[in-house]
Amino acid sequence: MRLQHSFLQYPLGMTALLLAGSLLFAANAQSSRQKPARPAPAKSAKVDFVHDVQPILKASCYPCHGSEQQLGGLRLDTRAAAFRGGVSGKSILPGKAKESLLLQRILGEGGKPRMPMGFAPLDHRQTALIRRWIEEGAAWRENVTARKHWAYVKPTRPPLPEVKNAAWVRNPIDRFVLARLERAKLTPSPPADKATLIRRVYLDLIGLPPSPQEVDAFLQDRSPDAYEKVVDRLLASPHYGERWARPWLDLARYADSNGYEKDGRRSIWLYRDWVINALNRDMPYDQFTIEQLAGDMLPGATQSQRIATGFHRNTMLNEEGGVDREEQRWLTIVDRVATTASVWMGTTLACAQCHDHKYDPFSQEEYYRFFAFFDNSDEPTLELISPEEAKRRADLQQEAAVLEQRVKANAQDREAADRLERVRKELAAIQPPTTLVMQEKPGSGPPATYYRIKGAYLSRGKKMTAATPAVLNPFPKDRPVNRLGLAYWLASRDHPLTARVAVNRAWEQFFGRGLVETTDDFGTQGRPPTHPDLLDWLAVEFMEPSVKRPGARPWSMKALHRLIVTSATYRQSSRVTPLLLERDPENRLLARGPRFRMEAEMIRDNALAASGLLSRKIGGPSVFPYQPEGVWDVPYSGDRWTLSEGEDRYRRGLYTFWRRTSPYPAFMTFDATSREFCTTRRVRTNTPLQALTLLNDPGYLEAARGLAQRMRREGGDTVQQQIAYGFRCCLARRPTPAELARLERLYQQQLRRYQADPKAAQAFLGAEAEKPENPALAAMKVVASVMLNLDEAITKE
Amino acid sequence: MEPFDPVSENLKAITRRHFFQRAGYGIGTMALAALLQEEGLLAAPAQQPTANRPDPLSPKRPHFAPKAKRVIFLFMAGAPSQVDLFDYKPKLNQYDGQPIPEEIVQGERFAFIKGTPKLLGSPHSFAKHGRSGQEISSLLPWTAKIADEIAIIRSMKTEQFNHAPAQIFMNCGHQLPGRPSMGAWLTYGLGSENRDLPGFVVLLSGVNNPDGGKTCWGSGFLPTVYQGVEFRSKGDPVLFVSDPPGMSRQARRESLDALRDLNRERFRLVGDPEIATRIASYELAYRMQTSVPELMDIRSEPESVHKLYGTEPGKATFSNNCLLARRLVERGVRFVQLYHRGWDHHGESQYNDLMNGLPRLCRETDQGAAALIMDLKQRGMLDETLVVWGGEFGRTPMNEGRDGSKFPGRDHHPRAFSIWMAGGGIKPGITLGKTDELGYNVVEDPVDVHDLHATMLHLLGIDHTRLVYRFQGRLFRLTDVYGNVVKKLLA
Repeated sequence: MRLQHSFLQYPLGMTALLLAGSLLFAANAQSSRQKPARPAPAKSAKVDFVHDVQPILKASCYPCHGSEQQLGGLRLDTRAAAFRGGVSGKSILPGKAKESLLLQRILGEGGKPRMPMGFAPLDHRQTALIRRWIEEGAAWRENVTARKHWAYVKPTRPPLPEVKNAAWVRNPIDRFVLARLERAKLTPSPPADKATLIRRVYLDLIGLPPSPQEVDAFLQDRSPDAYEKVVDRLLASPHYGERWARPWLDLARYADSNGYEKDGRRSIWLYRDWVINALNRDMPYDQFTIEQLAGDMLPGATQSQRIATGFHRNTMLNEEGGVDREEQRWLTIVDRVATTASVWMGTTLACAQCHDHKYDPFSQEEYYRFFAFFDNSDEPTLELISPEEAKRRADLQQEAAVLEQRVKANAQDREAADRLERVRKELAAIQPPTTLVMQEKPGSGPPATYYRIKGAYLSRGKKMTAATPAVLNPFPKDRPVNRLGLAYWLASRDHPLTARVAVNRAWEQFFGRGLVETTDDFGTQGRPPTHPDLLDWLAVEFMEPSVKRPGARPWSMKALHRLIVTSATYRQSSRVTPLLLERDPENRLLARGPRFRMEAEMIRDNALAASGLLSRKIGGPSVFPYQPEGVWDVPYSGDRWTLSEGEDRYRRGLYTFWRRTSPYPAFMTFDATSREFCTTRRVRTNTPLQALTLLNDPGYLEAARGLAQRMRREGGDTVQQQIAYGFRCCLARRPTPAELARLERLYQQQLRRYQADPKAAQAFLGAEAEKPENPALAAMKVVASVMLNLDEAITKE
Repeated sequence: MEPFDPVSENLKAITRRHFFQRAGYGIGTMALAALLQEEGLLAAPAQQPTANRPDPLSPKRPHFAPKAKRVIFLFMAGAPSQVDLFDYKPKLNQYDGQPIPEEIVQGERFAFIKGTPKLLGSPHSFAKHGRSGQEISSLLPWTAKIADEIAIIRSMKTEQFNHAPAQIFMNCGHQLPGRPSMGAWLTYGLGSENRDLPGFVVLLSGVNNPDGGKTCWGSGFLPTVYQGVEFRSKGDPVLFVSDPPGMSRQARRESLDALRDLNRERFRLVGDPEIATRIASYELAYRMQTSVPELMDIRSEPESVHKLYGTEPGKATFSNNCLLARRLVERGVRFVQLYHRGWDHHGESQYNDLMNGLPRLCRETDQGAAALIMDLKQRGMLDETLVVWGGEFGRTPMNEGRDGSKFPGRDHHPRAFSIWMAGGGIKPGITLGKTDELGYNVVEDPVDVHDLHATMLHLLGIDHTRLVYRFQGRLFRLTDVYGNVVKKLLA
């Protein structure tokens, strides 16, 4: 396929999506071009063809002037052809850049269309490199293997860069960030004020807002480590695991239903709880990896390690009558390969299912060798039954068998029949929780699979035994060539991608954008890192901590998170100054703190927390909070959404029942995913449907009512105090006098309305009886709803 | 509109880009200024809201002059039987009851059929209709009246033979979930012409939702602003569009005024343009609260219209949805998709056989679909509105006879099925393609799903190879790496 260009081809800037809209098509075209990670060669060094020039030609010229087509008779992928030129003449005149057609066309000179035609032009740096290369004699080295793409080379610890303003630095992260800022002649923002900071770190570490009391305690704590104390308390909170499970469950495509037509329920919440517990226990990431990919194969695998393998049982299952089961099994492995490559390696290995990867060094054969690791598993259901219960069941089954014989022998044996019925009832009542797990088939030697011609299930090719891609670290010699060995290979310190990809994803959670923006693609087509040395330093530090710091041990996610949130970089104010808006609107250089909209579940959790309704119960089967009638209406299924009772209506978002063909609408509106496949990053949109949800979803109105009641109960005697208290419940900070006055004006307006129309107050509150306090409560509920709808209330500042 | 010229288009893009380079870095400072001015956040002369507010849904220019400006896709979920509706097969009737020749079905995979099935002629009659003489089943008397307006394609084929993957394939060009649906692609490519409504609207009727679920109108890897928005027949027409009980419109306005003032205050302090966007979103939501219920209230239509469509206000019928589709495209919505599920006529029982089930589904949909074409034509909108009618695959020319069922029915059949298209640059009154004498395989002018997508995009002024989006390191298209425009269908 020749990928052509158009005005439609450029990805939108996700965060600024609605803001700049179509105009961004033009603007982003510029920033979306590949900027080589490698810094420009120093003025003294010569431009290197293989490292500096060929990548530009490859990305921008080969599609039309390469092996597949030679528009204008020009071919630029071999030395001879390139120097021969095309129908317009010689393209490269060594030493004469200005006269060389190559450069002229790239610059769009001579009234001819600028090349690459239709694509965004090369950036300044790229044209400068080509100009210098021609000026310096256009040396074209052929038959040299280009240096390995940076991401396939094991990271080494880079030295900490020198900075001018060393006083600003709190930990090594800051050195890398500051060095980059100083290069760009930008200065960091001042620290965020304490109320903003504590809210930020609460949201980031536990996904819930601090209570006004917790904010006060922090404000009053003048000790130098007041902030670190908060951080350590939050890292130890059981809600930490809930907050960090959320992005992992997107990767694991965790859901409570099978997907496709019938989309029946499945029980795999024990896996979800395993993730929460593992994160709370700070299970090292290498172990976290091994248990999920191959926990069943560990010697003496524990129940918990078997539950962990649910990671790859989260694949979809089509229960339609006409399904070819073997094909379906094959498709689930296709999904497991793609997911494993995305989650641990940030690699688009899936591209090689049908043909060799077009851009990255993965052949189709290597794809099927990787596939083979997964092609030797059974997929049982694990039952979590206690020994007592198991014995009881065995006894009952035996008794039932005896009774059945008796009834069979004598249909008139009423006593036996009655007892049989009782025993069966009792048996049916034994319903231990179950979960889906992986189990390796017995057998010796490395697993194998069939190559598929053009990736089609029906076109079987030769048999391929399991192996990992050649460009990456060698398979460990002391490990078996099977799924377990694969897990060890991924979790090895020699793997060039595992740690980088993991720290990058963590960074994205805190700062809204990864150091590599394309968290799912560290290949040549992904975005190069904004701070390559910082990425590598973090990756090495993650695996082999050097800095003396609390909780530091290899692969500790909590230690990594602690390192990030205690940096000066993280603690900056997120104010977008006109200068920063001009120079770095997307905050790639981190001259300010992060500011972006919360994710779907967090918005819900925050509203519930602010209102005091939130249940803090952890784990268990998924729940059914309020959802409008008719959202679930699925073919061949009588399954209905039945509103949960009691506190289960107010559980955190990650416990909401996730039905793949019909996910919870209030989440989908805020860019959650259907969990039909692995999602490494959610886009962030800003739409009117979100406004309607927060304004009118009965779930949010209930939260507004709860908040109003809490304000009146806990906030103080005056309306002003009550409003200020509610404001703090939502935003942590105190309102300004202007904000307070505006909310109070709204309150008075609404109070008059509801006093004049008590029936409306009653209807608005959903109260059974008319009560004298209804108008005041209804007015406060309007105020509470407005506060929950504030941009700031759904934004991490 | 001038034809798309890649060179001049590219130059324009460069000019724009240069402006932005001068104006700042990356993001369009001008875009920001326009937005802030609109929201009264910049010290600028008071300005009316502009029609071209920068917005991912703002209208965009296609690649070349389009024939159609909008699409209504009548998705017959469950898969209607082509040999009983549009693909008349006298030979099949002649061989009724005989086993199908072994060589035809050797190595074939069926959803339910086991062994060697018997051929099943159509129990329904066909006749030629209109000046064009299109052959249409007696089950579709209304469709017969629009015979001269539609192009019947008898040579559709697909790769999937189970409902969910086939519906996802038909909508997204790939059988696995994760890719954007065609409506999402179109709104991404063309934007919407109504600021107060979503660009892509979905209406459901029939026994229940389609098998492929919401993936059928999902945005896949595109931003979620492009996903289809369900307009519901019961409850809120759009989820949460109604104010809660006890809150008047004035009270809503007052609370939104307070919200806006507070958000502006915050914007002044922290300067994040996202806040300005949020303010705009709330104002649009407020307008939708009026425009959506007004749109959904079909009672305002004259009696003659109700009679034409056979509408029953207040019910979730296909006819109602056809009328709503017309109201939506009238208001500038880009892509309207109707799903009517229930065409899965296996013949396991009287309920889903060819004698009762199929005629019932035809009665539920025939009038509405035909009325839509007549109504659009009469309003002069058919020329610019592309209407597509069809399901996810076809049905076997053989009787399924599951578990020895006595009721005639047909299994899933991906190798040949019929759809029709009308308006928006489609050549009217033609039949394209041919199947073999049993209706099993396509023998002339095959049209696969990618070809259909390529043709639809072409009619909308889009080169399907150039409507692309970069995701996970490569450019994706609706047509994947396939698709040819079916020239014979073009007027």
